[in-house]
Amino acid sequence: MAEKLLEVKNLKQYFNAGKPSEVKAIDNISFDIYRGETFGLVGESGCGKSTTGRTIIRLYDATDGEVLYDGVSVHGNKSKAEVKSLNQKMQMIFQDPYASLNPRMKVLDIIAEGLDIHGLVKNAKERKQKVIELLETVGLNKEHAERYPHEFSGGQRQRIGIARALAVNPEFIIADEPISALDVSIQAQVVNLLRDLQKEKGLTYLFIAHDLSMVKYISDRIGVMYFGKLVEMATAEELYKNPMHPYTKSLLSAIPLPDPIYERSRVRTPYNPNDHKYGPDEKVEFREVTPDHFVLCSDKEFAQMKKEIK
Amino acid sequence: MQLDKQQLPPEKFERVVIDNDSAERITKPSLSFWQDAWLRLRKNKAAIVSMVVLVLLVLMALVGPHLNGRSGDVQNLRHANLPPKIPGIEKLGIFNGVGELGGQKLDLYEVKKVDEYYWFGTDGLGRDLFTRLWEGTQISLLIAFIAALIDVVIGVAYGGISGYFGGRTDDVMQRVVEILIGIPTLIVVILMILIMEPGITAIIIAISITGWIGMSRIVRAQILKFKGQEFVLASRTLGASHNRIITKHLLPNILGIVIINTMFTIPSAIFFEAFLSFIGIGLQPPAASLGTLINDGYKVMEFQPYVLLFPALVISILMIAFNLIGDGLRDALDPKMKD
Repeated sequence: MAEKLLEVKNLKQYFNAGKPSEVKAIDNISFDIYRGETFGLVGESGCGKSTTGRTIIRLYDATDGEVLYDGVSVHGNKSKAEVKSLNQKMQMIFQDPYASLNPRMKVLDIIAEGLDIHGLVKNAKERKQKVIELLETVGLNKEHAERYPHEFSGGQRQRIGIARALAVNPEFIIADEPISALDVSIQAQVVNLLRDLQKEKGLTYLFIAHDLSMVKYISDRIGVMYFGKLVEMATAEELYKNPMHPYTKSLLSAIPLPDPIYERSRVRTPYNPNDHKYGPDEKVEFREVTPDHFVLCSDKEFAQMKKEIK
Repeated sequence: MQLDKQQLPPEKFERVVIDNDSAERITKPSLSFWQDAWLRLRKNKAAIVSMVVLVLLVLMALVGPHLNGRSGDVQNLRHANLPPKIPGIEKLGIFNGVGELGGQKLDLYEVKKVDEYYWFGTDGLGRDLFTRLWEGTQISLLIAFIAALIDVVIGVAYGGISGYFGGRTDDVMQRVVEILIGIPTLIVVILMILIMEPGITAIIIAISITGWIGMSRIVRAQILKFKGQEFVLASRTLGASHNRIITKHLLPNILGIVIINTMFTIPSAIFFEAFLSFIGIGLQPPAASLGTLINDGYKVMEFQPYVLLFPALVISILMIAFNLIGDGLRDALDPKMKD
């Protein structure tokens, strides 16, 4: 895991900037994603996870900061060819399988849309052949190509969405809560499909979710977001063993376990951002506490954390 | 237990293998949105009957004026004020040419020594009302067609551009609409007449100025709703052009609502024309429209009710038919809106 595939540097995304209704959806976050890994992004509803994903893939124009994909900036003025190549390399899987497929199009046309836009197939026969291949990759069969989205279940639709993203042979896939709208029994199916695809095609994922146990299962590294800021980032194992930021601790304390004895004694640690009691001139920064373990903290907290480790 | 084993011997059981392939199979035949809508529409009797009636009316409007070889604007004062007389049916005691003259019921055709048959009678100037009725229907349907066209072309384009591009474009376009909608259409027509001859052109221009606003608002709302949907975002992440997003994703999804709304615009346009002609600022005589015919008819309603009856019937049937079809289409194309 050496090569950086995606670098997010001081990314900011403000909506209604300069107006009284300004919302700082993403407030100065930085992280890197290495080739071949899965980076999990967790946080509560409305903390800016999805916005981060959408800004990275250019659905929103960033207010400030930059996103480098393979060393090339994603935002700003770009030529058509550059945009096209980025669109092909970066793809996205959406949260709601019921809203992410056009109800008026056949599955064949939905999946083939990327092929058509990028001119990846020469004729209708090849197009259909490719779509059938993709359907089989995600565990559906060729009869499904002629059908409409409303005839499928949520899990099947989500797999169609995955097939659509795979159609253009991407390297990097942003999975925006791909399983949160699915039944628990189907979630494993989709997550395992994503893992298999990763092994097979060497994909890199940005996996956005709020279900910590699922994120731990699939991710190599995890970033925790709170109110537009990245508060902690570490490898999955490390984050679970040694959570340092109080918000991460609170999140972890909220995971239920199927163990009645443990559940009876489990205490949720609430998180109140006012507990930090940051002074007006204290610098709250993203600092590396132990190697590859970053926490958003002030000088005082940083020293405290260092001390606790020793 | 023993009994169970006797009745259910092991060889009667067959092992079921879980086959993932068949688990994913869908047996229901695949129906497109339009096939599905047609199935639903077919069940709606009122809409189907209305469609048949409407087709008949359109046919009559096209061929009716030529059926009896008389022209609608030829005056024949000798034949004025004749009641309806239809060959065949006259023997039943209706449509037999009997009308009142000086308080007596007489066959006016005999009195006036007319050998011809006027199916729907004649007006005070001796014009054939049958021919005039269908000429009038033609005008009404023409107005309906033009109103629908303006609705679809201007309304959809305006609302679509405003909704899709949003931002400043949207702000400006919506302010323009707000100004336009503040002017009553009647005033637009009256102003039109100041500068041009009253007639069908003036009515069409009036409809062009304000008629499409309702449609543009509905289309804008729909576009706003759909352009943020994930399937449009997915298309954008794949690099789709505006053109592709509009034609492949947005238009097919709003088409149903556009059709429904058009079906409701048509009757109001027909009525608007009839109303203008009725109060005398629409079509001018000798041109016939349902409105002018009704205007002629209501003046002689007490003595010659048939002059009013036929155009009133036709306009009522037209309006009801369009409304029922619109209703049926709404239920068929937008099942969610039913409640």
